[in-house]
Amino acid sequence: MEVKTKTEGSKLTIAVSGRVDTVTAPELEAALKFGDATSVVIDLGNVPYMSSAGLRLLLSSHKTMLGKGGELQIANVQPSVKEVLAITGFSDIFNLA
Amino acid sequence: MTERRSLNIKLVLSVVAAFALSMAFTWFLHGWLSERDAYALIDRAFENVEDEIKDCVDERLVRQCMAVRERLEEGYPQDVASLQALAREMRVTEISVADSKGDVVGSSEPDYLAGPGKPAFNFATAGGKAEDMMCLVTGDETEYCQPFRGNTANGAWRKFVGVWRPEGGFVEIGCDGAALRGLSRASIVDLFRNWRVGGKGGIVVTTAPGLVLSDYVEPNREGSQWIDPDDTFYWKRKEIESFPTYVMVPKDSAAVQRDVLVGATAALNGAALVFVALLVGIVISAFVRRQMRLQAAKELEMAKDIQLAALPNVFPPFPDETRFDIWASMETAKEVGGDFYDFYFTGQDRVLFLVADVSGKGVPAAMFMMRAKTLIKSIAQTGKPLAQVFDEANEALCEGNSSNTFVTVWAGEIDTRTGHVTYVNAGHNFPVLLRGGKAEFLKSRPSLVLGAMPGICYRAGELQLAPGDAIYLYTDGIVEQPDASGELYGDARLLNLLSARDYPRNAALAAVVEDVRRHAADVEQADDCTQLVIRYHGEPPADGGTPEPSLK
Repeated sequence: MEVKTKTEGSKLTIAVSGRVDTVTAPELEAALKFGDATSVVIDLGNVPYMSSAGLRLLLSSHKTMLGKGGELQIANVQPSVKEVLAITGFSDIFNLA
Repeated sequence: MTERRSLNIKLVLSVVAAFALSMAFTWFLHGWLSERDAYALIDRAFENVEDEIKDCVDERLVRQCMAVRERLEEGYPQDVASLQALAREMRVTEISVADSKGDVVGSSEPDYLAGPGKPAFNFATAGGKAEDMMCLVTGDETEYCQPFRGNTANGAWRKFVGVWRPEGGFVEIGCDGAALRGLSRASIVDLFRNWRVGGKGGIVVTTAPGLVLSDYVEPNREGSQWIDPDDTFYWKRKEIESFPTYVMVPKDSAAVQRDVLVGATAALNGAALVFVALLVGIVISAFVRRQMRLQAAKELEMAKDIQLAALPNVFPPFPDETRFDIWASMETAKEVGGDFYDFYFTGQDRVLFLVADVSGKGVPAAMFMMRAKTLIKSIAQTGKPLAQVFDEANEALCEGNSSNTFVTVWAGEIDTRTGHVTYVNAGHNFPVLLRGGKAEFLKSRPSLVLGAMPGICYRAGELQLAPGDAIYLYTDGIVEQPDASGELYGDARLLNLLSARDYPRNAALAAVVEDVRRHAADVEQADDCTQLVIRYHGEPPADGGTPEPSLK
């Protein structure tokens, strides 16, 4: 798994590549630092699989940004992950772009 | 814990003991070495001291002998009485005069002279050490000194010194101890004043009756009574030219050396100990880490046991129940997870059944699972509608849930009289409806998982079961079990298997587990595999015959 971050003003883009599972989730968790960003995009364009450990991180991020009055977008979700988000009901609360 | 502490104490004690032992050994060794060194030093000093005293005494006696010769050259009579008088005057014990053949021609000792029927004492032929003096006749030497020793002729201790005579032959004087000391003491007194042996040690020369002649410690103690050194000294006594002579080294000056050596050794030992302690530490910490790992594994095992024990595990659970039967199983993976199933009556004719999966693994997931299970049951048994049970359970689980752990639950509540099922899906896999030899997913729009966000309104779905219909619930451990190539077991295989035939009782559960295992082959079970099947039979007819299918 690989994580790339890019900051443009107050907008932070975090691009994740690879599987997010129990093994790789801690690495992603360490990379999910939002600082002062008010708008965060987590790009899952290259994530073919996400386990509940990954969902937990998305939930944490969602709550963090909600608490800051900011905005979290989850972008480019692949169908397999989209299905997981749908089944678990997370697609109802996440802002999927 | 106590065991570990006593182990630590034992370790520290044995390290201290080893240190003490090694220091004691070092102390002893260096003590022994410094004693040996001290005596080697003393022996070396004695070689010089002996030469020095001998030279001094020889020189003094040669001078005396020359004085005697001078008197004789002046024409001093050589009869016994005269020579005896001269010996007294010259403070020597005896005087003899020999001719160039070595024959005694004059002596203070009558025995040496020729008498009736007895030749004169001849140095060349008398044997013993006497012939040494003949060097004075051959012209090899002009003066000759023998050491102080027992006389070959009569056993009396003498030091003989001879000087040659220009007209041939030689003059010899002999001194006993007292005479020798009397003559040479003055030159001995200051001889060793500035000599030092091993820094603080020195030389003491005494006279025969035990009076100090030369004492390096107190230079002006000459003539005072000598007492042998006490045990604060390493010392040796040797009689040199009749002077009892002592070379002594204070032990503390040797011990200073020892302290330095012992100090250095202590530092080295300390360093070695630190090194050993580090090694021991590494070994112990590896041991402790292993113990902790074992302990952690044991605790996980216990958590798993507790988790399993909390689930209903007697089947069939309601032996007298004819309207439905319910079976469940949980195959746990190596690591404890957060799967669970549950079922219980929530009213006279209402049975709640559910399968759930907590996010994450390990003890936190197991604890969250216990909490979720207990919460849902306690709320459900108040008789509230299922959706409300979920609303309330969700609020409770969200509270203080800083780790954002959540749980997916699919729960159904069946009216056992009618087969009517109300269900709520909190983010869980769709169950499979088994009806008329067909298996299909019971799809519904899922609500959010429990524990993720507060304020969620859970949607309830409804379903009518006909007698013979069954609902199969499971967790994703089943469909997501990979094989060696990474291919997951998947929904299709599950549906295929379940529709293959009519499974009585718990046969479906066993068949699925077996099929998943076959798929996984050598790959380790990835996650808990939890499943539950409930089959509706309907009300038995009043006459006790087989129930008729309901066509509602």
